[in-house]
Amino acid sequence: MSARRPALGVALLALASLTACGSDRAPPGVVGDPLRGKEALAMYACHSCHIIPGVTGPKVYVGRPLDTLAERNTIAGGLPNTQENLVRWIRDPQSLEPRTAMPDMGVTERDAIDISAYLLSR
Amino acid sequence: MLLRRKRLIIKSVFATLAAAAVAAGVTGVAVLFGGWYNIAATAQHFPFVYSILHKGLEYSVAHHASAVRAPVLGAPAQLRRGAAIYGVHCAQCHGGPGVAPAPIGRSMQPVPGPLVAAAEHWRTRELYWITRHGIKMSGMPAWEYHLSDEDIWATVAFVEVLPRLTPAAYREAVAQGGAP
Repeated sequence: MSARRPALGVALLALASLTACGSDRAPPGVVGDPLRGKEALAMYACHSCHIIPGVTGPKVYVGRPLDTLAERNTIAGGLPNTQENLVRWIRDPQSLEPRTAMPDMGVTERDAIDISAYLLSR
Repeated sequence: MLLRRKRLIIKSVFATLAAAAVAAGVTGVAVLFGGWYNIAATAQHFPFVYSILHKGLEYSVAHHASAVRAPVLGAPAQLRRGAAIYGVHCAQCHGGPGVAPAPIGRSMQPVPGPLVAAAEHWRTRELYWITRHGIKMSGMPAWEYHLSDEDIWATVAFVEVLPRLTPAAYREAVAQGGAP
């Protein structure tokens, strides 16, 4: 019977990580509506260059895959990975890193907040 | 005895298949006329539907473009011409290095891919075929009746150098190209 214990532990851990990463609720300290952000990601064609978990799109590597964004320490070529910096990057990447090929997609502040909330809750 | 059993099995197999076909037909008609399918561009495909459609696209283009013979591309005048056409006709949906597509190209379903990566996925003759004939149900128009053959090849030539252009070089190329 004791052999089953580790399996149970692993299952619980998997469940816990599912609820932690896969939830549609933003992690503590993050503002915005992740569900709305998920739809907005497709409406600004983010998935035409980035692979984004939960957003159907082509297998494309023009931009970085965004599946582990929440785990990264820095974004935008060296800025701390905070929601505020992420919103700034999404709205006007070339003002933070002039050499980036990522364009200004005309994202409004509200949409950028919701998009960042979704990406940080993955 | 055995024969009767066999016949019964065959009969039930066919009856089950027929019942399944009728059920599928009824469901299909109900979904079609009930309007239950959400046609909104904001509703995404299931990932496997997207993958299957995309595979079909790749094989269809490879098959239909197989007879196309690509000429030698990349002469400076041809690239200038291609840049001008790209800026006017392609960039609004596909964008360019550092340049966003116009709003019309941002919210399309399926999303028009960035052509920066196109030359990695498609052979030269396939880029020509797609540009000339367009892609059904995707929003990609056929340019055969709106651009000369020479201009389509010029556009393909420019798309093939896109991955090597910095945002600044891209802007310059499109601006220098002038009006096509």
